Amino acid sequence: MFKKILIANRGEIAVRVIRACREMGISPVAVYSEADRAGLHVALADEAVAIGPAPAAESYLDMDRIVKAVRDTGAEAVHPGYGFLAENADFARRLEKEGIVFIGPRSDALELVGDKVRARQTMEKAGIPVIPGMKSIPSDAAEYAKAAKSLGYPVIVKASAGGGGKGMRIVHAEADLGPALEAGRREAKSAFGDESVYLEKYLEEPRHVEFQVLADNEGRTVHLFERECSIQRRHQKIVEETPSPALDEALRRKMGETAKKAMRAAGYNNAGTVEFLLDKDRNFYFLEVNARLQVEHPVTELVTGVDLVRQQILAAASEPLALSQESLKQRGHAIECRIYAEDPAANFLPSPGRILLLREPKGPGVRLDSGIYSGWEVPIFYDPILAKLVVWAEDRELACRRMGAALNEYAVLGIHTTIGFLKDVICHPEYRAGRTNTAFIPKYFDGWAGEDKGEETMAVALAAAAIDDLALQARPRGVTRAKEEEAGPWQTLGRWRMGGAD
Amino acid sequence: MEFEFLADGSAKKVVVEEKNGRFKVRHGDREFEADARRISDNELVLVIDGRSYDVLIARDKERKILFVNGREYVFRAPGEESGRSWTDDHKGPGGGLKIKAPMPGKVIKVLVAEGEAVRKNQTLIIVEAMKMENEIKASLEGSVKKVHVAAGELVDPERVLLELEAK
Repeated sequence: MFKKILIANRGEIAVRVIRACREMGISPVAVYSEADRAGLHVALADEAVAIGPAPAAESYLDMDRIVKAVRDTGAEAVHPGYGFLAENADFARRLEKEGIVFIGPRSDALELVGDKVRARQTMEKAGIPVIPGMKSIPSDAAEYAKAAKSLGYPVIVKASAGGGGKGMRIVHAEADLGPALEAGRREAKSAFGDESVYLEKYLEEPRHVEFQVLADNEGRTVHLFERECSIQRRHQKIVEETPSPALDEALRRKMGETAKKAMRAAGYNNAGTVEFLLDKDRNFYFLEVNARLQVEHPVTELVTGVDLVRQQILAAASEPLALSQESLKQRGHAIECRIYAEDPAANFLPSPGRILLLREPKGPGVRLDSGIYSGWEVPIFYDPILAKLVVWAEDRELACRRMGAALNEYAVLGIHTTIGFLKDVICHPEYRAGRTNTAFIPKYFDGWAGEDKGEETMAVALAAAAIDDLALQARPRGVTRAKEEEAGPWQTLGRWRMGGAD
Repeated sequence: MEFEFLADGSAKKVVVEEKNGRFKVRHGDREFEADARRISDNELVLVIDGRSYDVLIARDKERKILFVNGREYVFRAPGEESGRSWTDDHKGPGGGLKIKAPMPGKVIKVLVAEGEAVRKNQTLIIVEAMKMENEIKASLEGSVKKVHVAAGELVDPERVLLELEAK
């Protein structure tokens, strides 16, 4: 087994991998950009290496600097997390050449599934149903228009190298195609360093159902059931759960076997996910392979009891897979809510800035994968994910209630987050009934303006604010003076005396 | 003592008097007595008519943010600019309209030039933050009076990106 692993990532996922390393007796090494010197992952690792300026292209995406950090620290393997270099075949190949283990699939498998167009071709050949779309990346802009016309609008622009909604644009009419392609390319370039985009037929209101797969280096392959990820904003998942309310045993088995077949066709090893779209008539189509640990992996861990990061590390160390398909069972229900630094009342505009105060939820069946703390300044440079709140309970309804209660305890003050919005999603009758699809948020939450505050609690909040002012004024002078140096009006005396009542 | 706070742009008044460690509170036509315990600099527990309220308090220069039983309240000092002012356009002198950055980020592209006529909802500037592009659109029909930023620049929310002139 490895003695030292370098984690080429940041935020909550770096923290997650650090935890797995600790449990396995492996020493975790963090890397950080200038914006992340005070990051939680840096604090929790055994060693931390500075890898450059804040922009990802000059730090987390810079292979030379990461390879140098591996060399300098003597790490034997690299865990790429998700995003950044996680699905970059050049990076995997570079590590292979340098004799460093990449904790993920082999570079050729990664290259195949990472190229969405080639992946589709491979799956089609293996007899797996795919969504109609372009079969190659054209060099000529006119080709896109032609393809869009023959697929029929609406179509969706997708980054060939991508995932996570980056570079995606839905196009309803030919006039919008040019700008959508341009924006998609720009976003794809900045997120993945590759600007290739292609078009696919856009299915309306499908469910997004994916299957987790694990494979060892000898090709033993199991699936760990599905995750339902239909609740999306900007084509990016925000709530995930397992089991999916849409599957029965027969469909689950069929899709699971198809997922394994897809991974075998791609010669895939390590952990990966096969994404499907499920239409209203319960037809499923291969969407893509996510050749990495998924953001939403914890829901699978909670219902199967399998630690996926540990399995990834074991597989990367060429250990034979110890799990059999028959041994894997789904127990209970798990839901994940993604906590993003975004303002859901303003079209999910990013909301970087300082977290003034953090209080995290606790309790039975509550898991929090988090990369933040009170006082952390959320940088503008990276994905806005702050944390993932995950709950497990005996059944779906209990899991919903547990999630609602945990969200209600969760305070991230100082920046906008998705917490209040997620509460309303979890409480929505259509969500509670399990009737979710990818159009759920645009359909039911368009123009969402914020939580209902309630006049009664407003009176309590005002009272508390006033009592807080009184308490601050009553502080011993020395304390007040010292605080005043950095303080705004909240700490200064007299500001709030309006009526001259004292 | 009377206190005034701005919440969502509207002024809210509350009168609080301390008496033997308890607080008499009046807000509008509501009156109640609160028993308050300060657990830390950032947490108060109030008991009002037997009901318990756990209150977290965060402060910065402009705001006091309270978290009461799962709900968040943002209060500002009266006289300060109202919350979320940066999401609105600001009318400057001479009928010009200052378009401010909606969030901290990086200017990716400036799509208009000074003097250019613009339609309502036309995209003027693209600002990127946290890997997402956000299009800043014209809120009126008119022309571009001045462009203050160039592609590649990092901008703060208070930063004026460009000025429009109504037609």
